[in-house]
Amino acid sequence: MWRRHLLIAPVVLFLIVLLIVPYVNMVRMSFLVKPPGERYLNVFTLDNYARVLRDGFYWRILANTVWYAVLTTALTLLLGYPLAYAIARAPNRRRPLLLMLLIAPLLVGVVIRAYGWLILLGRVGLVNQLLRYAGRQPVELMYNVTGMTIGLVHVFMPFMALSIAGALQNISPDVERAARSLGASPWKTFWRVTWPLSLPGVFAGMLLVFVLAVSSYVIPILLGGNNVLVIPMLVVQLLLDAFNWPVGSALAMVFFGLTAVVLWGYVKLMNRALRWSLR
Amino acid sequence: MSEGRSPLFVAVVVVLYAFLLAPIVIIVLAAFNAGEYLRFPPDGLSIRWFVKFAQSGPFVRAFVFSLQLAAATTILATVLGGMAAFYVVRHAGRFRDTLRLLVVSPLQLPAILTGIALLLFFYGTGLGTRGMRALLLGHTLVCLPYVFLTISTVLVGFDRSLEEAARSLGAGPLTTFRRVTLPLIKGGVISGALFAFITSFDQFPISLLLVSVGNTTLPLQLFDYLRFSFDPTAAAVSTVSVLMSVAIVLIIHRLVGLESIAWGGPR
Repeated sequence: MWRRHLLIAPVVLFLIVLLIVPYVNMVRMSFLVKPPGERYLNVFTLDNYARVLRDGFYWRILANTVWYAVLTTALTLLLGYPLAYAIARAPNRRRPLLLMLLIAPLLVGVVIRAYGWLILLGRVGLVNQLLRYAGRQPVELMYNVTGMTIGLVHVFMPFMALSIAGALQNISPDVERAARSLGASPWKTFWRVTWPLSLPGVFAGMLLVFVLAVSSYVIPILLGGNNVLVIPMLVVQLLLDAFNWPVGSALAMVFFGLTAVVLWGYVKLMNRALRWSLR
Repeated sequence: MSEGRSPLFVAVVVVLYAFLLAPIVIIVLAAFNAGEYLRFPPDGLSIRWFVKFAQSGPFVRAFVFSLQLAAATTILATVLGGMAAFYVVRHAGRFRDTLRLLVVSPLQLPAILTGIALLLFFYGTGLGTRGMRALLLGHTLVCLPYVFLTISTVLVGFDRSLEEAARSLGAGPLTTFRRVTLPLIKGGVISGALFAFITSFDQFPISLLLVSVGNTTLPLQLFDYLRFSFDPTAAAVSTVSVLMSVAIVLIIHRLVGLESIAWGGPR
């Protein structure tokens, strides 16, 4: 029955040609010489990396990018948890509606959602008009870190909530009832029973949101305006505006390489924390 | 939070949903608002911005282009993703986890990075990004995991004795697939295809990097437009796109149920 392997052959071929080869090629590109006036030369060099790693500017932007992603992750956790809890513990007939309202925004394009925030919170947005109407000073909510953070939290909160709800879904309500009937207060039941059991979903959600947030490009550009700079913006500028493919690739490799290392450490740490919390 | 029904908890959840839906609802309001921008108090209802959208060359061209691209992507991603799902769920053996990881990996890699890699690759091989080809391949790459995951979900719960019954009654493998298997997994296949369609239609980072001169997708056109003006024509365009997303969510819910997707499916 070798013929059944024909099912997977086209997919594997497709992924090798359009995923693996391009990524390997990008790594190669980051080691090539960039002569003035030409795209690249097929000569090996470490200069691109040296240039990126020695430049304090890149490090500063890198720190900012990571900080925004950490902030986004923390806020989505804080706001996504109650949502997840409401969905997981909703009566069966109401759960589909709650899920639908969570998933529908996910399928609306990021540009469109950013636009919605601009209409609502922009300089001449609805909120500022209401403030003016009430005789108050307008507030600057968009084209800065605040605006970008609002947008990022909005875009990634459903991912966090889905991840946590999946974990909460697997906890039998009987476990909570047992704790309650043994005299634990609602809060104590939550912190000693529900929260530890939901940690796998929490950690998975944090991982997902951090990866998505750290590499986001549209929201920082549209809602951060000229006041925010993140690494993905710099990489795209280097590639599309400056046509400097080798240095752009090197910056991307350094950035995502560092992210991968941090995440690897995070996964190790979280696995240990999970074992410890469930002891 | 014993049963999660305290008034405070309910209030918090309502506020959170309001936050989630606010920017989307506001776009629909702005699109139907008569004035140049949303004002308080509002100016009254009108469909003039939809008329302006229909008369705007760039927006209509981008809209049609995005529809064509999403349709082509859907076909390619559904065929490839469906084949991969069948193989991985039924035949993969000890390579199952490796293959699953490979097929889902475009979801895990940052889209902007994949876009860069593809851009360098298309230029490096001399294929370039002219026409729709580069976009089609890039979009198929990122839509493939959605189809794969959705069809895998329905295949895992599939009762294979039905196929065996058809075979023992003399049906060939193709007839069995067409008359027994496909009708039973139809919901999953259509849901996966719809996921692919809307993912392609809304795709931004890959399109930004792979788009060629003369073609532009709707999200890119909106993005360019929004950097310079806030004319509600953009709101009318967005509203049409929002309605498509809502319709797709409803159809998927009818076909396979959102719960099976949410807990087991696309991440």
